[in-house]
Amino acid sequence: MTDDQIIVIVPAYNEAATIGRVVEEVRARYPWVVVVDDGSHDDTSRRAREAGAVVLRHAVNRGQGAALMTGIEYAHRRGASCVVTFDADGQHSAEDIPRLVEPIARGEAAIVLGSRFLGAAPEMPRGRRWLLRAAVLFTRLFSGLKLTDAHNGLRAFSAEAAAGIELRLDRMAHASEILDQIRGLGLPYREVPVTVRYTDYSLAKGQRGLDALRIAFDYLVGRLFA
Amino acid sequence: MIVFQVLGLTLLAALAAVTVGAAVRGKLRRRSAAFWLLVWTAAAAAIAVPKLTMIVAHALGIGRGADLVLYCTILAILVGFFFLFARLRRLEEDLTRLVRHLAIREASDPSDRFTVSPTARSKKRRPSPGA
Repeated sequence: MTDDQIIVIVPAYNEAATIGRVVEEVRARYPWVVVVDDGSHDDTSRRAREAGAVVLRHAVNRGQGAALMTGIEYAHRRGASCVVTFDADGQHSAEDIPRLVEPIARGEAAIVLGSRFLGAAPEMPRGRRWLLRAAVLFTRLFSGLKLTDAHNGLRAFSAEAAAGIELRLDRMAHASEILDQIRGLGLPYREVPVTVRYTDYSLAKGQRGLDALRIAFDYLVGRLFA
Repeated sequence: MIVFQVLGLTLLAALAAVTVGAAVRGKLRRRSAAFWLLVWTAAAAAIAVPKLTMIVAHALGIGRGADLVLYCTILAILVGFFFLFARLRRLEEDLTRLVRHLAIREASDPSDRFTVSPTARSKKRRPSPGA
């Protein structure tokens, strides 16, 4: 698998401040970056295009899960051998991508999940750590997967996994939904250590305590109505 | 006849008229019209002869007729919520699919820059209605 068969998807909502730098950082190694602009009100699309990304623009905001699914569907149609998802707020490191792609290139896994708890997250506030631990426990309870990090946006999918996954939860509960589908598809998965950089910006854009309740609610409702 | 009965029965008669009118004009399916007429009739019966609710309430083991009406109302609202919620979710899924379809169709694709020349592209573009 060559680097230009790998599509890196970056879902972005009002990320004009960071998107250009993120796209450039990824494109230094992986030329095919797809930014899914989820109906931003700022310059996200223009900045992403200027940095050399393909831009898919949602006419109205549909949530991160919906944006990810748009990117995955596009990548699948374009015949990508591997699809990587990467956050737009600059908290992921492009240096971690090869480690995610490798098990897929070798055919050892269909889905590779980044884990900050196996890797490093030096600036993580204590509250965030407990919240994520709770999310891991929640995931273990409902999807039965034993993971160390449940809500990390840095992931890689093989072509087969990208074709099989169908996210229907539009907002943030897609992280749990992806895990459910991993189990449902019966595809081999693994976790690899990654670094998550916490900045004031990423913390402000990230999910807080009360959002967790909303996510859990979305997820459980999704299971009832899907 | 107390004031409430006059007001309530007038309102229900109006609702029934609107329902029948809509069914006749084909704006409402016959089955839906029949359902709503049944609801209006039941409400009218309960208002005109309050004893009726008491009789039904006692038969069901509920103390007062007013309580029966209250319980039925809450149940109806819950059922309505359920269907509304399911429909809202379907609507949201459809909207997402539509937004996704448009986004992928109108992708700013780098490969297009090489296959479509600038002149061919400007010919293809139609003038917008406002222009």
